[in-house]
Amino acid sequence: MILNIIVNGLLMGFVFALVALGLAIIFGVMEIVNFAHGEFLMVGMYAAYLTATILPVDPLLGLPVAALIGFLLGIASYYLLIRYLLRGPMLAQLLGTFALMIFLRYLAMFIFGTDYCMLNEGILIGKSCKLGSCILPYGKLGAAGLSVISFSIIYVILHHTKFGSALRATALDTEAASIMGINTERMRAIAWGLGGLTVGLAGALLTNFYYIYPTVGLLFTMIAFTTVALGGFGSIEGSFVGGLIIGLVETVGGYYAGPEWKFALIYFAYFLIVVFRPQGLFGWSR
Amino acid sequence: MKALKKALSFRDFHISERIGLFLFIVICLAFPWIVKESFARSVMIDFLIFCLYGIGWNMIGGYGGQVALGQSKNVGMSAYTVAMLMILWDVPWCLGAAAGIIVATTESFVLGYVLFRLKGHYFAIATIAVQLIWQQIFINWDWVGGNRGLELPIKETPNFIYMQFESEVYYHYLALSLVILAILSMNWFRKSKLGYQLRAIKANEDAAESLGINIYWAKVTTYCITGIFAGLGGAFFAVYYMYIDPYSVMHLELSILIALMTMIGGAGSMWGPILGAMILIPLDRYLGSWLGASGFVGLDFMLYAIIVMVIAACEPRGIWGIIERALIKRGNTNGSIRSI
Repeated sequence: MILNIIVNGLLMGFVFALVALGLAIIFGVMEIVNFAHGEFLMVGMYAAYLTATILPVDPLLGLPVAALIGFLLGIASYYLLIRYLLRGPMLAQLLGTFALMIFLRYLAMFIFGTDYCMLNEGILIGKSCKLGSCILPYGKLGAAGLSVISFSIIYVILHHTKFGSALRATALDTEAASIMGINTERMRAIAWGLGGLTVGLAGALLTNFYYIYPTVGLLFTMIAFTTVALGGFGSIEGSFVGGLIIGLVETVGGYYAGPEWKFALIYFAYFLIVVFRPQGLFGWSR
Repeated sequence: MKALKKALSFRDFHISERIGLFLFIVICLAFPWIVKESFARSVMIDFLIFCLYGIGWNMIGGYGGQVALGQSKNVGMSAYTVAMLMILWDVPWCLGAAAGIIVATTESFVLGYVLFRLKGHYFAIATIAVQLIWQQIFINWDWVGGNRGLELPIKETPNFIYMQFESEVYYHYLALSLVILAILSMNWFRKSKLGYQLRAIKANEDAAESLGINIYWAKVTTYCITGIFAGLGGAFFAVYYMYIDPYSVMHLELSILIALMTMIGGAGSMWGPILGAMILIPLDRYLGSWLGASGFVGLDFMLYAIIVMVIAACEPRGIWGIIERALIKRGNTNGSIRSI
């Protein structure tokens, strides 16, 4: 039983890691916290859901659609809003992204209503396999697998391509990077695009086994914050390890304390982390 | 005595500000005689409650630049204390409110003591996390009503001990007196040593520290004062609505609304929260009732979000920033308006 819970927690953790990846990239490049992150995820979920129900195709085909929409959403929010926010004080930055979150959430509520949606048909939906004493739903298994693949691709892009070097250079020192001939403005926009893309993918993967509703975002924003804080703000590797730990906290803690407390446990974990180790597991102290 | 003098002196106000303050108080005093419609009256009382919340938040968030997004947990704690004391032991409102304020302030102190070791984003997100933990606790805690909330026991009206009245007029004046108290405290605060310290911290934390300001204690103290106003607001909320639940007084959305409202009006200025509440609350209530009736859920929130995004991007000092610039441009001041 406990093994089953741990394995499920780890599977969830892989998805959380993908959710947090975008936040870590954005924070790493420009030290702005995106409160609308969970809302980007919600947009990704609805994109995948609509692709699967309107076209009728398998929800897995919603992945590229959600990724593209997430990417465009990220770029658009950078050029229309974040660019201007970065000039102002931190209060304006925080509340500006907060306003973006509220806007996206109520836009979704306006268009789709407040109902919970769920996909019922698909290759990965509603089936599970048994491995020893563990019951593994295909939805979670597939989502975890695809999360790991996407995470690895982004990791390789960031660490082994010229573009990735430029992005990391921008993160380390924007001014020096721009002297080296890097278009830092475009790098920042792309960081937002990448953030939207990864979280859109995560949203599309979640549609395989999670409810879709307009206010789903805040929960995932907080999970992403916790994950990123645990790993260290700006650290890509950290968000992976952090995601796994948070997945375990959610399922194992939820099992022992009761499901109504599992999110309070995540918030409490965040509280403990920022109080006792603000730089996180892999971060450097600022 | 000196503090009282500071609170009552409006000498450093620009003449147009003095007129503005005078008009504000006169209009608020005369409001129940002019307007008889009950919906408008309730909107006015909501406006006053939000002024109270906003003025409190403005001290730490606006003057100190510390983005604390957990004002509503203090509101909620005070409201719950008042309600529980009244339900369990029939405690009069005044004593209940005092207890509520003590609870809210204590919570602020403990939390500030722990959290003000953090800075910037870490602090902001940590306050959200704490807010969400309390929210979960109150939603799941059956003794204080859990999800269903609490109803206050109904007494004979008019009742000044339990502050229960048939007509909103009494509530209007109660709220107004609390708001005037808050404005006076604000006037004291911005001229006090603490107020100057906080502004120095907002401008440059390292420089403030090198001037010998104990930035940690300045922040903690201000956070406690913020808690007092949240507590007052909560105590009034409980007795005005006679019903509280975690979604109305203990919710993250309330915390965010308070911060957004102050931001729109102009964070870090005396008038910011009042201007913000003056715009947002009627917009919210009227648009909400109008759009809600026609089935457009959420349009009002989208409208706010757009206003806040535009203000955050173009004029981070809010509406007061625009007014201030206009006044300086007209040249009828000697260079600056000091009521920041």
